[in-house]
Amino acid sequence: MKKPKVAFFDFASCEGCQLQIANLEEAIIDVTKIVDIVSFREVMKEHSDEYDIAVVEGSIMRPMDEERLKKIRANAKILVALGACACMGSVQRMLNQWPMQESKDIVYGEGDPKDIEDNPYFANFHTKALDEVVKVDAFIPGCPINRDEFARVLVALVQGKKPPIPDYPLCVECKKKENVCLFELGKFCMGPVTRAGCDAICPTYGSECEGCRGFVSHPEENAYAEVLEKYGLTVEEILQRKTMFTYRYVEKAKKEAKKDE
Amino acid sequence: MSKINIAVKHLTRIEGHGNIVLNVKDSTIEKIQWQVSEAPRMFESFLRGRPHHQMSHITSRICGICSIGHALCSLKATEAAMGIKVSEQTILLRKIALHGENMQSHILHVGYLVAPDLFRAGSVFPMIETHTHTVLKIIKLHRLANEMSDLMCGRTTHPITLMPGGFTAIPSEKQLKDLKQRLIDIIPVCDDVIQTVLDNAHMLPDFSRETEYIALTTDEEYALYDGVIGSTDTGRHPIEEYESIANEFVVPHSTAKFTKHARESYMVGALARFNLNSDKLTSLAKKWAKKFGLKAINYDPFMNNVAQLLEYIHCVEDSIALIDKLLDKGLKKNDNTKYKVRAGRGIGGVEVPRGILFHDYTYNNEGICTKANLVIPTNQNHNNITKDMEIFAPMLLNKSEKEIELNLEMLVRAYDPCISCSTHYLKVEFKR
Amino acid sequence: MKIITKKEFLVFVDALIEDESIDIEGVKAKGEKFVFGSLESADELQLDYDVTILPPKKYFLPQYETMMTFDLSKPFDVERVEDPKPRIIIGVHPYDIVAIKQMDTYFLDTHVDDSYLQRRKNTLIIGSSVLNVAEKAFFGDMRTGSVDSGYDLMLTDMGDKIAIDIGTEAGEKLLNNYARSVQEATPNDIQKVRTIIENTSAKAKRGLLVKPQGWHDLLEKNYDSDVWKSQAEKCLGCGTCTLVCPTCFCYDINDEVDLNLTTGKRIRTWDGCLLRNFTKVGSGEIFRERMEDRYRHRYNRKGRYLPDMLGFVACVGCGRCSSQCVPDIADPVNLINKLAETSQSIKKSEATPLTAEDKIVSATVEEPLHVPRPATLKRVEKLTELETFFEIELDDGLPLGHQPGQFVEISVMGFGEAPISVSSAPNGNTFELVVRRVGDVTSKLHAMKPGDKVGIRGPFGKGFDVEALKGKTLLFIGGGLGIVPMRSLINYVLNNRQSFAEVTILYGCKKPCELLFKEEVAEWETREDIQFMRSVDKCPEGESWDGEVGVITCLILKVKFDPKDTIAIVVGPPIMYRFVIRDLINLGMPDENIIVSLERRMKCGVGKCGHCQINGIYVCKDGPVFSYKDVKDLPEAFT
Repeated sequence: MKKPKVAFFDFASCEGCQLQIANLEEAIIDVTKIVDIVSFREVMKEHSDEYDIAVVEGSIMRPMDEERLKKIRANAKILVALGACACMGSVQRMLNQWPMQESKDIVYGEGDPKDIEDNPYFANFHTKALDEVVKVDAFIPGCPINRDEFARVLVALVQGKKPPIPDYPLCVECKKKENVCLFELGKFCMGPVTRAGCDAICPTYGSECEGCRGFVSHPEENAYAEVLEKYGLTVEEILQRKTMFTYRYVEKAKKEAKKDE
Repeated sequence: MSKINIAVKHLTRIEGHGNIVLNVKDSTIEKIQWQVSEAPRMFESFLRGRPHHQMSHITSRICGICSIGHALCSLKATEAAMGIKVSEQTILLRKIALHGENMQSHILHVGYLVAPDLFRAGSVFPMIETHTHTVLKIIKLHRLANEMSDLMCGRTTHPITLMPGGFTAIPSEKQLKDLKQRLIDIIPVCDDVIQTVLDNAHMLPDFSRETEYIALTTDEEYALYDGVIGSTDTGRHPIEEYESIANEFVVPHSTAKFTKHARESYMVGALARFNLNSDKLTSLAKKWAKKFGLKAINYDPFMNNVAQLLEYIHCVEDSIALIDKLLDKGLKKNDNTKYKVRAGRGIGGVEVPRGILFHDYTYNNEGICTKANLVIPTNQNHNNITKDMEIFAPMLLNKSEKEIELNLEMLVRAYDPCISCSTHYLKVEFKR
Repeated sequence: MKIITKKEFLVFVDALIEDESIDIEGVKAKGEKFVFGSLESADELQLDYDVTILPPKKYFLPQYETMMTFDLSKPFDVERVEDPKPRIIIGVHPYDIVAIKQMDTYFLDTHVDDSYLQRRKNTLIIGSSVLNVAEKAFFGDMRTGSVDSGYDLMLTDMGDKIAIDIGTEAGEKLLNNYARSVQEATPNDIQKVRTIIENTSAKAKRGLLVKPQGWHDLLEKNYDSDVWKSQAEKCLGCGTCTLVCPTCFCYDINDEVDLNLTTGKRIRTWDGCLLRNFTKVGSGEIFRERMEDRYRHRYNRKGRYLPDMLGFVACVGCGRCSSQCVPDIADPVNLINKLAETSQSIKKSEATPLTAEDKIVSATVEEPLHVPRPATLKRVEKLTELETFFEIELDDGLPLGHQPGQFVEISVMGFGEAPISVSSAPNGNTFELVVRRVGDVTSKLHAMKPGDKVGIRGPFGKGFDVEALKGKTLLFIGGGLGIVPMRSLINYVLNNRQSFAEVTILYGCKKPCELLFKEEVAEWETREDIQFMRSVDKCPEGESWDGEVGVITCLILKVKFDPKDTIAIVVGPPIMYRFVIRDLINLGMPDENIIVSLERRMKCGVGKCGHCQINGIYVCKDGPVFSYKDVKDLPEAFT
């Protein structure tokens, strides 16, 4: 059976997710045995436009990026969104709280406005995840991704199986590891509404889950908000946590509220 | 009438997206440009309104490779703003974490991104067959660096345990002892890899241009975590003066800002650190510097790669010393500094693998960030890359287009730019 | 009873730890909490702990257990993984010992779980009397503060000395081989121990209004109480309560393939009924979708279903669920008391004392419970867009030995296992399956060819009681995919036509293109000794159909039969059998004359993993074929 051709791309991101693939260390050799990597700009010069699976990291923030993504979608049979930027928008989604011109003024304010206007490099619009531009076939969440999960998804795609991304909260993994629950330590963990698959790494190290993998498909948001209030968080503080990685859901709720009006 | 037009779109084997454009007509360079096309994510805008405890987690997302450096710089800024003084144990642990990141980034760069050029390969993948032993050794060095920062921070990319005042979790004494042994064991492997690079160093182009070098500097040690700003031209400056040193300006062909100080441009990074602080390197690093014939002040940007290798082994040796210090004192389980949130402005300066990094935060009474300014190392190099190209390109004109392109690419790669930190790859078009 | 100084006891533990051939686990500190973990030295042991985060069930049913490995480069290469290393667990509280006994009863009863048994046999339990009572513990109310069996040694830490009660010969040997200066306990010591146990049990009471023996009646009476909804509104669906509970042991099994695409493992992991996808089947339906149903199920399983099945209330009052539930709704004391407030006169049921030792000794393993047998695909025929027919032969040449209505678990190593009803009558060395393509396993099966190998476990379940049907008039009503299991009985009946009275077969599908077994259907049409009618819900453009058009319930009206004297066999999707049964009842058919096959998520096939539960019954064990009379009152059966 011919090895599937895989190409890696990235958009607005920190490239940390692609780095996790390089961090497979010796296992990267196993990867090259089951797929043909035909494009991976960060580590190789060669490039081909013929690929079966496109693995894409990063958010879409400019028209030129949208165009590039659409080309990739047309070339690929399977498009995989790699990491929080591609799946949800990650932290740069917080930009969507303000009009884009305001952000441009803050960052490039002291420059010559002539250099910025009409310059495609600077033509930012509000952050979009990949599936807000093209159809996405598989999502690997996380900021960064868990490289074991990447290996599992790659195996599944090559075998023709559904990518095994869990749809239950982090608490399941945390409890199986016998971690002390962060709520007992006076912290506020987003684990109960966040999708497992990272092996509860942050709570394992005593740090609150920040929801970087996105919510499970049916999060118990009301019950969770009630819990946070009970433990002493103000509404504002709850929203602060929600905006960090999961602003996409806040945006969606705002849009739906507007529709109802 | 002969023309050379080189447009390397989205240069490979660097972090982030950048283009090289060279237009030559009749041996006159009409245009030489280093363009940064990375999509700007505009951190300085969305850091507004963020509570202080989220800042280091958000800013680590600026970069996948130097996320620990960003997190530490961010914490230093917050701690400076709120008057939080961390314990010595915390500082020692943070230094080891930073060493781990330095090692990881440098060996990734020299081993995966630059070495293929030395062996004229497209990437490290074919080298797995042709130079198996070397590649396996590089992987070993990379793996150790990763596991080291995993141990210190919970995770290398986007660290977990770093927080204002200290750590959410620290390694045990046994784990530090094991790490120390692994560091001791890796030294021969380091020596092998550095020797291999030495044997192939002649494949690096021969070029140098006088420029200013800026890095942290201190009398105590080879400055990475702490120090004041040092310049080969103007001496020492307090961190608070960073804005007057790194004068950022916007350039239309780059979504990343450029900087300049005493001259038209300056360089940061491993070579800059070497040029300012080489006397503070550990003994093995100094030994290898001699073998490469590398002495301060060296103006060859390609030597940045060599300086990175020296730093790898320096970090290995220094980490062993830091671990010894920690074990001598005995680890305290909870050595975090308690603090009260308050208003203030604080500036942190840290050397990350690619150079000097500044985070500048202003908080209100509730500990919410009202203003943030970040100066990224690679921003500070973009201008220097451009100036180097302007001098280097004319020297290449008698070579084939392929060679010109490769040499220009190698020049940019030598800087180890981290463009997503600051901002892509265009198609190469050749017209003669 | 024996006595030993604390000092000598620590020497004893260190001696055990030094013996590298045994894995020594004990209670140690984790931050401010306690866990069972590997002991490196005796001074790590914390016998005065109140409760551990996870119960010792993790030693017998690990969080992640590699059951078998496989090699996909060979046609069928599966190897069971064993865990033979001897283990000693030190510090198990009496209530946890009671829980282990309950697990023994569950796993070693019928269909002995060989992995569980191996771990149990290899483990010695050194129990420890409770000294400090956890805030939410109520083992005093549950009478699990002390046990007189289930341990090899039982310690009571009295400060400067430790009393040791010897429970088994193995325990005695342990003392003889590793401990020094063991003395006989004085009557004073014995009294002290008794006092300690009584005092702590007295402290571990939190005002439980209804004793465990009354839970069955209380829960039954309050099945529709508002309490479930009001509590469940706060539930996060995080699964914590079931994961930390010593008497919860539902599990899932999945395949993981390594990066080389060749080697892999089949892994068992903890699952929980509070998780949303616990009851999700391949086609996507979730049978316990509302949070209140899941929340209610857990309590009913512990207080009603398991007592009905095995004679014990599956709660030992450890308080783990209560202290670790973030929204604080998992506390059994609060819940029971809430229900009790609105209930009068609760009846008490008999409690059966647990005797675990004989379980371990007498348990016989018939075959490894989860390891499939190799089988070869003889024929593969595509029937429709979604359904493919398979004829399969076991590699050992033996017939499957199934009854009509039973099912098998078919394994494609590296993909997983799926429950498929057997579609052929029991004759010959091969058996037939019709598989609908819905997920990973079934998609891979569809792509396989004759000669390829699969794994088979089973046959499982209660099939059709063919003996009871003999001589009766039969009315088969099959909807959609329901014809598949029904065919096994139909063919049996047709092969033994003389043994049955009138036979009518009604078969309905959504559209003509979904018709299965076209050739056999044509045959049934021509047979003179049966009545056959078929119908489609609608006939879309471009398809042709010469049968009836309309839902299958219309066909029933066209059949002349005496409802009181006919047995109806109904198999189809829930939406179909609900209406069919309603119509049959309205026509006057008695409940016991209706036979229905129910579908749930079946995984282990032997009533252990817990996924297929409908209230207190396991579809895989008590069904999938049921007499309507037996399931009509189950609230979850026909939702």
